[in-house]
Amino acid sequence: MKLMLTALAATTLTLAASVVSAQQPVAVEAATTAQTMVTAKVNGMVCDFCARAVTKVFGKEDAVENVHVDLDKGEIHVTLKSGADITDERVETLVKKSGYDLVTIERESL
Amino acid sequence: MNRIQCTGLCLALGTALSSAPAEARPVSYPGGWTVMQTNNGDFSSFHAHYSPTFQDSIGLYSERNWGEDWHFTGVQYNRLVKRWNTPGSQANLYFKAAVGQADPFGDGADVEAAGFVGIGADWETRRWFAAYEGRAYDLGFDQGARQSARVGVAPYIGDYGDLHTWLMLEIENQPEAETPTTLTPLVRFFYDVQLLEIGYTPETDELMLNWIVRF
Repeated sequence: MKLMLTALAATTLTLAASVVSAQQPVAVEAATTAQTMVTAKVNGMVCDFCARAVTKVFGKEDAVENVHVDLDKGEIHVTLKSGADITDERVETLVKKSGYDLVTIERESL
Repeated sequence: MNRIQCTGLCLALGTALSSAPAEARPVSYPGGWTVMQTNNGDFSSFHAHYSPTFQDSIGLYSERNWGEDWHFTGVQYNRLVKRWNTPGSQANLYFKAAVGQADPFGDGADVEAAGFVGIGADWETRRWFAAYEGRAYDLGFDQGARQSARVGVAPYIGDYGDLHTWLMLEIENQPEAETPTTLTPLVRFFYDVQLLEIGYTPETDELMLNWIVRF
C-alpha cells in the first residue's frame, strides 16, 4: 500500500510538472503578444489641422499600430503592435518632430 | 495661350500662392508636403513646399500681383525661428525669404532678379487666433512692402477629426496699392488635411479664396 501511494504521488507530481511545463510556452506567448498603449501628454496641441502631423509622424514608426489624438486633454494615444515597444526617448523625439513639447508619458497594457 | 486661359491659369495658381494669412503655418512635419493657394483680388499666389525638418521648409513660390502688374516666381525658404508651446496655446515666429525673377506684365519689360524677406507670427488657442505677417520685396523695377494681421474666434470647439470653423477678420496694408488698407471678414474651414478660407473685402469689392492641403 505504501508503495502504491508513493507511485501515485510520483505520478501526480509528474503530471503536474508536465502541465506546468505545457503552460509555460503559452505564458511566454501571451507576454510577447501583449499590446501596449502609450499616452503622451503634450503642450501646444490646440489645432486639429496642425495635429495631423502627429498621425503622420507616429504612423511611420514600425512599432505603431494606431494613433489617436485627444485635443481636449492634449494627449496622444499610441497603440503599439503586439509585442512591440517604443522607448520614452523615441516618443519624445516624435513629439518634438510633430511640433509639440512632451510633458509626461504613461504606458498601459491592453 | 489667350488672355482668358492665361487669366484662369493664373487664378488657379494664385489660389495656391497665398500671401500672409494662409501662410501663417509655412512649415510642416518632417517629410511633409504642403500646397497652398491664395487669391484676394490684389494678388494671386501659389506656394508648394517640402519640410525636411519640423523647423524648415523650401519650395516654389509664384505670385501674380494684379494691383501692381507684376509677376514673381522663385524659390522660397521658411524657417520656424521660435515656437512657444503651453498647455492651452501655441505661438510661432517664422522667417521667410525668396529669390527668383520678376517681370512687369503687359509692357514687354525685361525680367529682373527679385526677392523678398518677411516675418510671420501667430498665436492660437482652441478658441482664439491672432496672426501677423510682413514682408519687403525688391523686384528690380519696383520695391515695396506689405503687411497683414488677423484675429479669429472659433464659434464652437470641435474634436479631432471634426469640421472646424473659424470666423476671422483680416486687415491688410499695401502702401502702394490703390486702396492701401483693407478689412476682410472671412470664414475658415478645415477638415483633415485640407483648409479653405472664403472672404470678402467691401472696400475693393473683391473676394478672397485661399486653400491649403498637406500630405
